[in-house]
Formats: sequence, structure tokens, C-alpha cells
Amino acid sequence: MPEHVSRLDSGLPPFPAGAGKGAIFSPLPQDTTGGQMRAHTVQTIDADAQTLYKLWRDVSLAPRWMEYVVSAEPKSENVTHWVIGDPDEPKGMRIEYDTELVEDVPGEKISWRSIGDKIEEAGEVTFSKATNGRGTVVVLTESAKIPGGKLGMAVAAISKRSPRQIVIEDLRHFKQLAETGEIPNVCCNPHGPRGVSGEFKSRLYGENNPTPPGTSDLP
Amino acid sequence: MKAVCWMSTGKMAVHDVPDPQIVNPHDAVLRITSTAICGSDLHLYDGYIPTMESGDVVGHEFMGIVEEVGPEVTNLKRGDRVVVPFTISCGNCFFCKKRLWSLCDNSNPNAQIAETMYGYSGSALFGYSHLYGGYAGGQAQYARVPFANVGPLKIENDLPDEKVLFLSDIFPTGYMAAENANIQPGDTVAVWGCGPVGLFAIASAYMMGAERVIAIDRFPERMRLARDYCGATTIDYTDNDVVVVEALRDLTGGMGPDCCIDAVGMEAHSNTLVGMYDKVKQAMRMETDRPFVLRQAIQAIRKGGTLSIPGVYGGAIDKVNFGAAFGKAIHMGMGQTHMHNYMEPLLKRIEGGEIDPSFLISHRVGIEEVPDMYKIWRDKQDQVTKIVIDPWQDRLGQPLAA
Repeated sequence: MPEHVSRLDSGLPPFPAGAGKGAIFSPLPQDTTGGQMRAHTVQTIDADAQTLYKLWRDVSLAPRWMEYVVSAEPKSENVTHWVIGDPDEPKGMRIEYDTELVEDVPGEKISWRSIGDKIEEAGEVTFSKATNGRGTVVVLTESAKIPGGKLGMAVAAISKRSPRQIVIEDLRHFKQLAETGEIPNVCCNPHGPRGVSGEFKSRLYGENNPTPPGTSDLP
Repeated sequence: MKAVCWMSTGKMAVHDVPDPQIVNPHDAVLRITSTAICGSDLHLYDGYIPTMESGDVVGHEFMGIVEEVGPEVTNLKRGDRVVVPFTISCGNCFFCKKRLWSLCDNSNPNAQIAETMYGYSGSALFGYSHLYGGYAGGQAQYARVPFANVGPLKIENDLPDEKVLFLSDIFPTGYMAAENANIQPGDTVAVWGCGPVGLFAIASAYMMGAERVIAIDRFPERMRLARDYCGATTIDYTDNDVVVVEALRDLTGGMGPDCCIDAVGMEAHSNTLVGMYDKVKQAMRMETDRPFVLRQAIQAIRKGGTLSIPGVYGGAIDKVNFGAAFGKAIHMGMGQTHMHNYMEPLLKRIEGGEIDPSFLISHRVGIEEVPDMYKIWRDKQDQVTKIVIDPWQDRLGQPLAA
């Protein structure tokens, strides 16, 4: 676990512990108290670990499958500059920060943490062989301090998705893109008049979530 | 384009909405030539499927001509005539590769809603709530079809729309219902509900070697189709002298039917006290489903029999005698139809003249009449058995602009 994650989470157990025979399952803590978010999500993806590692490692592709990423520019081999915000709202709020790689084990693991104190964010993604020829188990763990603390969390949850759900959706988009070459999208769906409550609720239904565009020309 | 929109419980309306566009590389856009109202659309109309919003375009039984394809669509081109399955499947995930198409992992953009309600999300469906993806449906002049390499079935003969349209849902759904019932040659099969899916289940049960099919309903015109076209024995459950479980026992030499098919689902009707209980609880939203048929089928089925459930259930059900299901060691099969397994083989049966699915059509209407038709369909007025829609026709049968 990268140092930054350890600091935020004070001693996460390895995950998924208990996957082997005769072991005891120990869950990861997953909560969003005090403006701090810890989230993990797991998907089995029908592709080999190397392919998935390469897709994840190419950070310039991140805006195509990660939600609320306007751009991700590699500044050097290990440092990436992120612009976070709603790509559909050019004049909306933007958060910019840098992350650096902490660990990079091809085909197995990538972990990162933010640089500077503007935003505290750290994460790790692991790739391991799934049982029964089902491809690769991908585990994504992220922790972050959300700007604005509890209030910021609440606003984030009401306006579009909760930050924790974004982590879950990001890995889902990654799987969709890796398995099908696209990300299902209903943002441009034709519909009749929504009415007042429908207009509000359609946000919850993903219709107004900025679904990343996906790509068909995978590396 | 014109499209039928769900506006609120009990209210459908035709609105002018933007034409659908190619969004993703595997999309196609169809110009719809024929579409239909499904029995399951009534669950939307009656407000029992959560996450419907005002303005949602409904309809999941449709066919048409390919208007435009995305850059990654390789097996369709502009001008192709296709029938579209109501389930949306990516073709590449674990479930699609196992041919469990309606459980596709990758087609539902709102999977998180289904995960909250069901643990995991099934495939997206056309025009069937945001929980099932929020894709615009096919009771419209055009539709966007995602994963067009996988779903649409090309029709390369000159059979009229009416004979192939029902490959989009009800014929495969009735067929899978019979398959899920594990029918062995010589078996006796009981089918609850003589709506379109029930009728196709009866016909399919005979295709699989059933010796006898007993159908339970209350509408004379439907039971007549079940008898005359499909060859079933019918039981009218509203007849005061009929107790369905006893009738089935009497008709099966005291054993009960080998296979039972619940082609009714969450809005079952019953004239008994328990039926009233369900109706009140559902009306008060204390129960999402009225599982009357499910209870009766569990009671009626023979020991070790197989119960197949093509009827839609949405959520929690009440007072189901699970002890009877356990005590008689019955098997159950259910779920949305794995459409892609059945469309092509059933098209061959239609082409071979084994069955003409258009036998159940009672109404042919233009799109503007559809909101009124929902009421007729729900209240079973006017001897309705199936409503087919031409989205390019007005009320008087004249051509309609987009």
C-alpha cells in the first residue's frame, strides 16, 4: 500500500484477503465520513492482465473512460497532471493537481498518490488472474479528502454522483471499454417533456452524468 | 420524430421528440416499420415498474429498416431489414459468451440502480425504465440500437412484418418459457394466462412434445385462440364452479401437471379473498407484485415438477408457500428471455410454415391511437389480443410525416 494511502487509512489489510482456501475474509473499510472517502470496487474482466495493465497505464486515455476527468497529461514518466471537472460544462468548476506513481509492476499493480496539499488523493489498482479462465480480477482502491469536507461530499452527491460511486463506475467503464470497445451511453437519448421532478431525477438516472466517450481504437 | 412517451401512471402521450443519433461505434439507427404493445408494457402503464420518468419513450417490440450504422458495425448496412430483440447484449462479456444474453454485464448504463435493487444488474432493455438502462424504446418512428452487431436479426425473405415482428419478444419469450418448463414428450403442461406469451408458450409446449396443454384465463377471445389455434384445453377461473387447483388435479388423473408456466406475473387477477388482499397491498405500495398465479402454480404442480416463470416480477412478494415448493421438490426457471438463442431458429420455423405468429393480432393502429390503445389493452376491451402499430400512419390510416 502506498504511504499516502496508509496515512489516510491507517493500516488497510491486503485485499482480497480470504481468497485462498481455508482463509478468513477480511473486508476493506469503506466509508465517507468527515469529508474523507475510502472506496474499493472489484470487477472480473474478460481479458489478460497485461492488456488491462497497458490500457490503465496509458493515462492520456483516462478521459475516455474515467468520469469527471477533463484531461490527464503525462508530465514525465511518473508524474501526471489531472484536470477534474464536468467535461460537459466548460465553465464549471475545475480541480487541477498532479499525481506521481508510487509502484508500477507491469501486469500486476499500479499505485499513485497526489503531490502537494491542494488535494489529497491516493489509489491502487491490482490485476490478478481470475479463477476458471474468466480473465483478470481487477481491484481498484481509492482514498481522497474531498474539498469542502462534509458539505462538499453532500453537494457532490446531490449534483451528480457520490464520489464513491464514481470510483465504482470508473472501474465498470474500464471493464465495458476493455470487453466491448465502447461505454454504454444514454446521455443523448430522445425523450418527451420531463417535467420538473423528472428533470431533477434524470440526473440520478445517469442521463445527465457525463458518460466518458470510450474509444474503439484500443492500444 | 413521433414517439409514444410514458407521462405518468395511466397516461401515455405521443410527442415530437428529437430523432435518435449514432452515439457509440456499434450503434445502428432504424426507421421503424412495425412495432407493438407488449403485456409487460402494462406494468409501466400501471406504474408498477420503478424509475420511469415523465417523457420516457416506451416500446420494446419493433422492427424496421437500417437507416445508419456506426463505424464498428460490420454485419448490417443501410437498407437491411431487421427485427430487434428487446434485450440489449454486448456479445463479449462472461454472460453473453455463456449465451445468457439477458444477463449481459455491459449494456446497462444505469447498472448501479439495478445493483441497489437486485444485487447485480441484468442487460439493458429498450423502453423499460431507467433501472433497465433508460434507452428510448421502439413505439416511435426511429430507434437507436446499441451493439447492432449482436442483436438485430436480418430478415432476408419477403414475409410481411406481421409474421416476423413477434420474434422481437413474445414468441421467443413463450418458447423459452416452455424450454424452462423442462417439457418431456408426453407431459401435461398447465399455462396460466392466454395473452401473447401464454399462447406462444402453449404452441411451443406442443413443439417440444407435450401431450396436452391446459390453459387458464378468463377472457373468451383469448381462450378461444388457445383452444382453436394452439390446441389447449381451457379453464375459466372466473367460473363459480371452478377451483383451479382441483380442476388441474381432475384433469391430470390426480397427479397435477408435470410442468407449470406462469405467463401472468406481477399483476395477477383473482376473484378470491387472497386476490383482493394482494390488490389492496399493491395499491397501497406495501407489495410490488401480486403473486396470485405463482402461489396457485406452486400448489397445483405435481411433485418434482418444473415451474417456469416468464411473467414479469418486479420486487418483493408476499405469502408465497415456499414450504410447498420445498416439500414437493419442484424446480423453477425464470428470467428475461435470452432472445438471441431463439430468434433465428424460430424464424426458420416461421419460414417453414410451422407457425404463423400473426394469428393473435386483433388490432392494427397508427401511432396517434396508441395512448387510447393502452387503456383498451389494460382493460381487455374490444376483444383485444394483440395490438400492432404502424408508426407512420395517422388516425385515419393516412401516411404521417416524421
